[in-house]
Amino acid sequence: MFCPQCGASTPDNAVVCMQCGRSLQAAPPPPLPATPYQGAPLQTPGVILPPGATVPNYLVFAILATLFCCLPAGIPAIVYAAQVNGKLQAGDLAGAQQASKNAKLWCLISLGLGLAVVVIWGLLVLAGVLTGISHQN
Amino acid sequence: MLETRNRRLLTALFGTVAAVGVMLLRVFDPATSQIFPPCPVWYLTGWYCPGCGSLRAIHQLLHGNLQGAWAMNPLTMILLPFICYGLVSYAVIAIRGQGHRLPGLFLPAVWIRALCALIVLYGIARNLPFHPLNLLAPGAMLRF
Repeated sequence: MFCPQCGASTPDNAVVCMQCGRSLQAAPPPPLPATPYQGAPLQTPGVILPPGATVPNYLVFAILATLFCCLPAGIPAIVYAAQVNGKLQAGDLAGAQQASKNAKLWCLISLGLGLAVVVIWGLLVLAGVLTGISHQN
Repeated sequence: MLETRNRRLLTALFGTVAAVGVMLLRVFDPATSQIFPPCPVWYLTGWYCPGCGSLRAIHQLLHGNLQGAWAMNPLTMILLPFICYGLVSYAVIAIRGQGHRLPGLFLPAVWIRALCALIVLYGIARNLPFHPLNLLAPGAMLRF
């Protein structure tokens, strides 16, 4: 099948055109400014997905986790976020949903590790303060 | 799927934590204060991870020092507007429901993979000991 907008050849089951991002559903949905992909708004034309195909990729949280929490756990979250969009582009909704779950899981692992560090550090600071006080007395 | 009420509570909680974090970052400088934990990666290995300097950068930004913020972590400074927009978008969906989305853009998977590669390469580059890559280390640009 060919994209009606840019003419690129696409897989028959594709949800969106991989070239220009146009939705390839039979009945073109109304132009809602609606996608769940609140990643970095960079350069690509906005893609309009059918309302049923909203799969969050958690990209924002994955980047936050990478930059502020714990590097090793943030990277798989970004990789899974890419998988979500890749599988959506290929029309694999179930695969996208699975990748979405994995992206969320790795974001939560990052969050947990980050919180653990904060709590441990807080306890150490508290212990240090208490030790300091007891030494003064 | 979380109920709308729970999503709103979660958003309120997240917003409160973020606001407290911003206030702490405005008052205390992570470069000198002890209240912020050190990055575990840096503490254990001595390497700068891609996020190293992010908190110091935001502290400088909150004091209007764009140059200092950029020197601490240029990648964070580039990504920060997009992160903020994404977080606001999530908050709008959580509070007002799926029908009230901010305009979002679909990123092709290859762009996300490129971003991932960029973050990893940036993390490696800022640890290399030669010019000009060593300028990417936190604060290095202020010393040249």
